Amino acid sequence: METTNDNVLMELIEITRINLNHIEQFKQLSLKELNLKENKESWSILECIAHLNIYGDFYLPELAKGVLIAEPFHSPFKSGLLGGYFVQMIRPKKEMKRMKTMKKFNPVGSKLDASVLEKFKQHQLQLLDLLVKASSLNINKTKTAVSISKIIKMRLGDTFQFVVFHNQRHIIQAKKVQQRFI
Amino acid sequence: MKQRSILLKSIEEQELWEKEVVLQRNEFLKVAGSIDTNLYFIVEGTIRIFIIDEDHEHTIRFGYKDNMIASLDSFISEKPSSYYIQTIKKTRLKIISKKGLNHLIAQSPELQVFWKMALEQIIFQQLEREQDLLISSPAERYKRVLDRSPQLFQEVPNKYIASYLRMTPETLSRLKKY
Repeated sequence: METTNDNVLMELIEITRINLNHIEQFKQLSLKELNLKENKESWSILECIAHLNIYGDFYLPELAKGVLIAEPFHSPFKSGLLGGYFVQMIRPKKEMKRMKTMKKFNPVGSKLDASVLEKFKQHQLQLLDLLVKASSLNINKTKTAVSISKIIKMRLGDTFQFVVFHNQRHIIQAKKVQQRFI
Repeated sequence: MKQRSILLKSIEEQELWEKEVVLQRNEFLKVAGSIDTNLYFIVEGTIRIFIIDEDHEHTIRFGYKDNMIASLDSFISEKPSSYYIQTIKKTRLKIISKKGLNHLIAQSPELQVFWKMALEQIIFQQLEREQDLLISSPAERYKRVLDRSPQLFQEVPNKYIASYLRMTPETLSRLKKY
């Protein structure tokens, strides 16, 4: 489906606003509450966010690089074949299937404190800055690296979508943890 | 402030509030890049409007209980704005869209006059603010704002006031001692 660049990016900006607000709500919880988890394999609120921070550390520099080199004119955005597939896979649905996490992205077992939340917040402010800049660029042509494979590259617009939907996915997960225990 | 209360009364009477939202402390009503043409009425709470420039937040304006606020650039242009609007404490807001407001104002010459006066007031405040920003003495900047809106110093944490006054929090607390 061909959509205008603005609509795609506007939606991502709004989801990021809501993600930020959930983080502010998590900030009101105690460290004990933030670390609660159902069992050894499942994630606590902080583990969900730490997982996103690992992704952010990889993707934010990739997005920044893309924004820097993208052609400076607006062009309607169209998902790539693979990019579109990954975006749909990660985008939260009503019933979310559990997905496997590669070991290097799994935060379980690391010692976490509330600085995880502040780091994520700073990542989101950077992301918003990049989304604003991207709205006047051609986000079709520029490609970025992806975390899951060294061979595949994704369109800048797909990478933006992937990152924001992935954030949303795990914030929903963290919210469920909060609702169950707190 | 008479014009504002008549405007509010008309919105109430004709049930034109489109939504009410409650935001917890530090939540965002708006972030950079979005288009926001709503007018908000603060039922309770405090908010601040700021921009981020090269990782630095610059506070532009505050809104208190009973104030009307908007992302004024977007409200006028209907284009994306770089403003952030964030609550300073838990805040309850009532919302009317630009369209709803325009529709209401078009019905009544009285309201048109009142709306014009409200806009004039905003322009006047902006002129004051422009001078605030151009005055080089931090003490003078502090005094002007203290005289103009003493409320600010009761409702808002020092770090945001300092940002609004374009000075460090240390300078602000030194000035407050005199």
